[in-house]
Formats: sequence, structure tokens, C-alpha cells
Amino acid sequence: MTQRTQSLTNWTVRGLTALSGLCVVVFTIAFAILLGYAAWPAFSSFGLHFLTNEAWNPVTDTFGALSSIYGTIISAAIALVLSFPVSIGIGFCLSEIMPRRLVLPIRSLIELLAGIPSLVYGLWGMYVLAPCFQTTLQPFLIKHLGHFAFIGQIFSGPPYGVGLLTAGIVLAIMILPFLTAIVVDLFQSVPRLMKESAYALGMTPWEVTRSISLPYIKQEIFSGAFLALGRALGETMAVTFVVGNAHRISTSLLAPATTISASIANEFNEATSDMHTSSLIALGFILLVSTFLALVISKCMAARAVKGRPA
Amino acid sequence: MTISSIALTDNIRPLTEETALSVRHLSFYYGHKEALSDITLNIHRNCITAIMGPSGCGKSTLLRAMNRIYDLNPTHRASGEIMIDGTNILSPGIDILSLRKKIGMVFQKPTPFPMSIYDNIAFGIKLYEKLSRAEMAVRVEQALRAAALWDEVKDNLNASGNSLSGGQQQRLCIARTLAIKPDIILMDEPTSALDPIATQKIEELMVTLKEDYTIAIVTHNLQQAARISDYAAFLYMGHLIEFRDTPTLFSKPKHPQTADYLHGRFG
Repeated sequence: MTQRTQSLTNWTVRGLTALSGLCVVVFTIAFAILLGYAAWPAFSSFGLHFLTNEAWNPVTDTFGALSSIYGTIISAAIALVLSFPVSIGIGFCLSEIMPRRLVLPIRSLIELLAGIPSLVYGLWGMYVLAPCFQTTLQPFLIKHLGHFAFIGQIFSGPPYGVGLLTAGIVLAIMILPFLTAIVVDLFQSVPRLMKESAYALGMTPWEVTRSISLPYIKQEIFSGAFLALGRALGETMAVTFVVGNAHRISTSLLAPATTISASIANEFNEATSDMHTSSLIALGFILLVSTFLALVISKCMAARAVKGRPA
Repeated sequence: MTISSIALTDNIRPLTEETALSVRHLSFYYGHKEALSDITLNIHRNCITAIMGPSGCGKSTLLRAMNRIYDLNPTHRASGEIMIDGTNILSPGIDILSLRKKIGMVFQKPTPFPMSIYDNIAFGIKLYEKLSRAEMAVRVEQALRAAALWDEVKDNLNASGNSLSGGQQQRLCIARTLAIKPDIILMDEPTSALDPIATQKIEELMVTLKEDYTIAIVTHNLQQAARISDYAAFLYMGHLIEFRDTPTLFSKPKHPQTADYLHGRFG
């Protein structure tokens, strides 16, 4: 009798857990299929041109995703370029410089940053950061870098305040806690004995970090950076506030632009034609694919790192 | 059984007159916990000094005070003196980096750096000397030869340090330490992660190395201490119980605790 109940419990548990596991798979696939289905009108009528066309014109009902894709990638790239070195700096400081009793409070503060709703970041970006940039940083960049041959193109035009650069900086602040949490954990994964051997050779904390710790966790750090990139790609609210929402590609980082998620957030409610709605959903589909790619690249790098490590 | 606070250190016949490092009244604290209590002993030049004792007796702590690697943790602190060439290395003003150049350390587990075999050696040298490519190649070869590793890796210098076997990795770490020309080498249970054959190679290596270097080794392997050391210290619960030349310590231990430990009655 006992045995029979046991096996019954066993099967119930097995069945329930398998079902929960299956849910994840079903939801993901269903989501992708539904999104693809709703985006189909846009994809079928514009074809590949949808990806290469910069124009986004609801009046003539012609839509192209290029300006949104461009804005998404550039703002995410700016965010990564800015937050990556800072997170390494924080990781170095917390693992080698700070007294150990300060590490936990500082880590908690960083994690608290991650808990601030993105809407708050957006409002702060729009009401504080953008006006501030408009009067300080942007005129400075235009004045001092604007006349150079290539860099000048990047920092030209009037200082709007809002734009790709501002969006990138707000994004950088938003992904910083996320990236820092990863980097700090990675620094702590470096074997204590390996660091001690390095110190025992007479290395300074920075030499140990640069030549021993960073090479040791290099793969995982890049993996973490791609994870953070995935986050930056999809971030919506904060970017919508500060990116300027203009469907155009400008070489200047100071010019207003748009991102995929900002376009969707701005226009979905007001999309009147079916083609407009479908095009917005198509944008969402592209976003899904690109975040998925970032995730896959991140996982591949992490897997390679584990393989190259001694047991 | 009480722990004598005065160690039995009389009757030492110095094999060499010279003292490379001298520990005087060293006490060590992890926070408020006392790990070493009033240790006094001399490490003789060109000899192997073994520090033995059961787990937690403070033998690693004693070794880690000698190059101040304990500094990495701010709650650890030492009192007393450790004299090297007339300087107390525990005094606050000491230049830690040059101290660690002079006193190398090999750890319980091999810790090759995440770089090639060649760079594992060259890296430490570059910290102190600016050498041409050719000079560097000579120095790397010397170090690898001195650690009896050259013949096994000479065709593979660009391979990762991790590609070596455990014993080879540990000899790489010894080579890395030798490369920056220290006076004293501290070894913290250097063979505890190795198989008997790799252990034997390292032991043979240590005996050759004492021609040129002074070695202090922490070991919980009594046979190892008996085989290779010239002097042996027995520590128990943070106290130095007995310290004398190895043959005498092993054949006629003066202190009953030493005898009990040597006969495997505890530890």
C-alpha cells in the first residue's frame, strides 16, 4: 500500500513539474508565433525593404524600421560603452581596495539603483538631465569637437537636450547596477589563492586586477556585457522620454531619434491604419529577435569560458 | 597536558651560522582571536626549515606573516618582530613590494596565471626588470630549468599554464617564484594537492634549491619533513613546542607532546 501511494505522489510531482516546465516553452513559442502572425501584413507588403527603409510615414502608410533599429542599437551601444568601464572600476574597487565591511553596504546601494522604476529615470532624464545637457554638455561638445573632420559629424547640430546621446546616458545609468552586480560577482569568483600568488610576487592591487583577475574572468565579463546589452535594447519608458522620438537617421548623436520600443510606446495607441499597427508589431518582433540574439551570444561566451577553465 | 610557553629550542647545532630570517616574540591575531603566541625561531640560510603541527595550529599563519601576505585582510595583525637583514619587516613603513620580491611564496594548490607558460614566468620578471626579448628568453629558460620543468615544456612555451598536469603546474609556480630571484622561498603545503610521484619530484627539487635559496616549508606530512628538512619546528595551538635540527627532533624529541605527535597519537 505504502509503495503505491509513494509512486502516485511521485507521478503527481513529476507531472506537475513537467507541466510547469512545458509552460515556459509553450508560452515562448506561442508568443513568437502570435507576434510573427500579427506582424505578417507589414513584412509581406514591405518585404526586406522594411528593414532597410528609413522612412516611417503614417500618412502615406509606408513604414520602414531602419531608423528605429539604428536608434536602438546606437543608444544601447552608447549605454554599454559608458557603463562598462565604470562597472569594471567599481568591481576593482570593491574587490581589491575597499575594506571588506564597506563592500556589502555599497553593493546594496548599487542594487537599490536597479530597483528604481524606469519611469522615474525617464522623468528625471526629461526634466533634469536633458535641460542640463542642453545648456552645458551639448554646447561644449559642439564647440570643442564640432569642427573636427569625422568626430564633428557626431557632435553637430543644435543642442536639443533630448536625443540619442541623452538616451544613451540615461540607459547607461540604468544598466550600470545590473552590469556592476555581474562584474562584482565575477571578481569574487577569482580564486583567492591565485590572487594571493600574484600579490606574493609583489604585484600591486591594480596589477593583480589588470593582469590576473580580468584575464581570468574575461569571457564571462563579455558575456555579462551582452546580457546588459539585451536589457538596454528593450528598455522603453526612460528612453521614450529623452530620445526625441523622430523617425530619422542622423549622424549626430545630439539629434532627436527614436528606438524600437519608444516607437511602439508612443504610437501604438494612436495607430489608426492596420498597416501602422502591423508595422509596430513587426518592430516588436525584430526587438524580440535581437534581444534573443544578445542572450544567445552571452550564453555561448559563458559556455566557452567554463570550458576553458581548469577543474 | 599543558602547553609549555617556553619552547624547547636549546641544543641546536647550526648547520650554517647564518640566519636568513629571525622571528622574535611573534604573536598573531585574527580579529580578537590569537592564532600565534610568542613565537621565536630562526630560519637558517641555505637550509630547509619545516614547520609542522596539526591542522589549525598556526603553521600557515606563521609562514604568511613572513611575507606579510596577511596584509590583504585588514583584520589580521601581528605583533613582535620578524627580522630580515637587520630590518623588522612587520614595521609599518616597510616597502611591501620589495619585501615580496625578496621572499617568494608557493601555495597549497598550483595557481598558474591565465596566460601562457612563458608569460607565467616572464610576467613576474617584467615587474622588476626591463629586459630585451633575448635576455628575457634566457631568464625564462633559467627559471624553468631551475624548477626542473624545462625539458617537459620547452616545445610548448606558448601553451596555457592550465594545460600542464598538477605537478607540472606546481613546478611552474616554483619557477615563477625563482624567476624574480628571491632570497627566501616560503612553501605552504606545496605538495598537498599532488600525487606521490609529483610530490617526490618537488621534494627532490627543494633539496637542490637549498644550495641557492633558503626554504621554509609548512607541511602536515611528517615523512616529508623528515626526508627533506634540516630544521623542524613543532607548533601546537599557536605555541611553538619544540624547534631543533630535524634528526634530533625526530629521534629524541624532548617534549612529550612532540613525541605524541610524531608517534601519531594525535593530529
